[in-house]
Amino acid sequence: MLPKQSKVLVVDDEPPLRKALRASLAAAGFEVQEARTGDEAVAVSKQNPFDLVLLDINMPGLTGFEACRRIRDLTPRTGIVMVTVRDAEDDKVRALECGADDYITKPFRLRELVARLRAVLRRTQMEQNPKAVLQAGALEIDLDRRMLRRAGKQVHLSPKEFDLLAYLMQNLDAPVTHVKLLRAVWGPEYGGELEYLRSYVKMLRKKIETDPARPEYILTEPWVGYRFCDPSDPESLPPLSDN
Amino acid sequence: MAAATPFLGAGPSGRERVPLSGVTTSYLRSSSSKSIGRAAKRIALGSIALALLTAVCYRLHLNVGTTSFVYLLVIVTQSLAADFISSAVVALVAVACLDYFFTDPLFTFNVTDPLDVVALVSFVVTALVITRFVSKARQEALTSQLQHRRLNGLYKLAQQLLAMEPEVSIGKKFLEPFRTVFDARAVCLYDAGTGELHLVGESSNSLEERTRDAYIGGRDADDRGAGISVRCLRAAGRTTGAIGFEGLANPESEAGALTALAATLFERTRAFRRASHAAATAQTEAYRSAILDALAHEFKNPLATILAAAGGLREAGPLRPDQEEMAEMVESEAHHLGNLTSRLLRVARLDREEVKPRMEPIDIMSLVSRTIQAYSRHATDRQVSLQQGCESAEVVADPELLRLAVSQLVDNACKYSHPDSAVILSIERQPHSVAVRVWNRGRSIPPHEKNRIFERFHRGDDARQSVPGSGLGLYVARKIAIAHGGSLDLEAEKPLEEGATFRLTLPTPESEPEHVAKAV
Repeated sequence: MLPKQSKVLVVDDEPPLRKALRASLAAAGFEVQEARTGDEAVAVSKQNPFDLVLLDINMPGLTGFEACRRIRDLTPRTGIVMVTVRDAEDDKVRALECGADDYITKPFRLRELVARLRAVLRRTQMEQNPKAVLQAGALEIDLDRRMLRRAGKQVHLSPKEFDLLAYLMQNLDAPVTHVKLLRAVWGPEYGGELEYLRSYVKMLRKKIETDPARPEYILTEPWVGYRFCDPSDPESLPPLSDN
Repeated sequence: MAAATPFLGAGPSGRERVPLSGVTTSYLRSSSSKSIGRAAKRIALGSIALALLTAVCYRLHLNVGTTSFVYLLVIVTQSLAADFISSAVVALVAVACLDYFFTDPLFTFNVTDPLDVVALVSFVVTALVITRFVSKARQEALTSQLQHRRLNGLYKLAQQLLAMEPEVSIGKKFLEPFRTVFDARAVCLYDAGTGELHLVGESSNSLEERTRDAYIGGRDADDRGAGISVRCLRAAGRTTGAIGFEGLANPESEAGALTALAATLFERTRAFRRASHAAATAQTEAYRSAILDALAHEFKNPLATILAAAGGLREAGPLRPDQEEMAEMVESEAHHLGNLTSRLLRVARLDREEVKPRMEPIDIMSLVSRTIQAYSRHATDRQVSLQQGCESAEVVADPELLRLAVSQLVDNACKYSHPDSAVILSIERQPHSVAVRVWNRGRSIPPHEKNRIFERFHRGDDARQSVPGSGLGLYVARKIAIAHGGSLDLEAEKPLEEGATFRLTLPTPESEPEHVAKAV
């Protein structure tokens, strides 16, 4: 499926989990290496850059956040997915602020993890060859000509709406925090104006979603921000099942 | 005559036991006959002394002036030892003697010389004034001595009480000093906090009943005949108990001070009891948190391993269809268990912390539908569904918290309904709010439990035996509703419909804030 085996570093202090992940991810087509602590992960990354790092937040010694920051500095093109626990929601925002590309909540299904890892991989590869025209489902956005087409028909967007959608589509499948979106679209002095963001997302959904009440493209990541998905892509992230 | 005198009961030497305070009619009444006898004896003694002196003075042919001075010695001595009345009587006897034996004409009570009249009148006035002053000084000394003794008693009592370890319970140990220091026959305390009666000593007049009755009636009670005084203990405007004394030497003046002391100490013990209880509760909460946090960690890692391994099994495939099904079952159930653990932890956290919703506009229908989907997968023996024809609405709420609250309601409805029965959710738009109703067929909630089901840790009588749960679900769901400015209630039952309907109401946002769109 992938042109070459992607190298994943699994960082967790629980030996059984590392062992299970090593076997399962190998079965899913990854080349897996393990690290027991944050320090070890940083040391291993220094010698040999990885395509992906799966990093647990709660570890003795160097925390996942700090390890993430250091790995990001060492190898900027490595995709990092952090493992959070459900009842510490603020960890998600913090993980993204530390430079993680995505997060996954423990305990997770392997399918979900693989989908996330692949999405991150796709994105890091895409960043290396930026395209002027992006496609997702029925949507086609032309970044140079600042045009959006939905099922072949042009959709009129205001300049801010366009910037917002373009930014989200460039980060396909990745969670984007409220603050990051506000700064990217409105400017670096913004950050707390969630109301702006909400009303623009609402308007965008009216223009691009089939049923704005049940969005398929712009999904809300509770307490974090938004995630743009491609509903036509089976590889795209399945909606998180909970309850 | 004697009954009007304040300190008639005091012995001449002061060695006799005296009441700890002075003016006590009950005490006087009981000892008045004895006092009259004592006064008569003193008058007789004074009169004999006068008679002797009269004889001596008469022999020596002393005049009125000299004899008066000699008499005054007797009168002063008399008033030093005795009360005013007996001294006054002796003074009058002395005047009579002067008149009879020393003024002309002798041996009659007539006085012819105006100078003698002046001398006699002067003597009477001087004698009475001296008597009065001396008695008064004596009385004051006695009063002060008594006050001193009473204060000493109270001080000693307070000291004994304060030296006690502050205990959680109030018992006989607390009452014993009251009895011993003030020589009461019995002391009884009714603690309204625990409903207990404590008695020390021997009561011959049902002190216990009277103490409890005084608390119930909220009124102090005195029975002089039985020597009983009962006082209510009050603190911060509330009656917290009652204390009864039997056989106090001087109940009217002592009961008040003793009660004040008892109330203070009683309050101290109660405060200690409350503080101990609060400390114990805080410790329990701390243990609970620690256990939950440990559970969170200890559960999630093995579950993550199971999920990773089961997923890996499927990836490693190809599996036979039955193997695939089993692997899927392991994965799906482990995932469900993970979600249950997360939810339990979140409920526990919300229970002890303040709920701080992070508001976002959400479509209530989509949230409710997702919850129903999740339940349909696992609660396969209940038909969880959304009522037909419901209209959706946008609410501003915390999606995670709201989903948790709705899940708790559905969970509750599934638990308390018959197998294979329906659990129906509905959404209803109201002028300024949206109501989500969760209905289940099943046992109705008994009237006495209706107000209690939202209480923390409350579990229905039947539930304790038949349904697993923590008793936190509805409590936390309501906490979430209230934090959103909404409410969670149990709806009144419709006639002929068995079951329960919970209504979660959330306020709907005002019309779209236009300034937002214009501002950017």
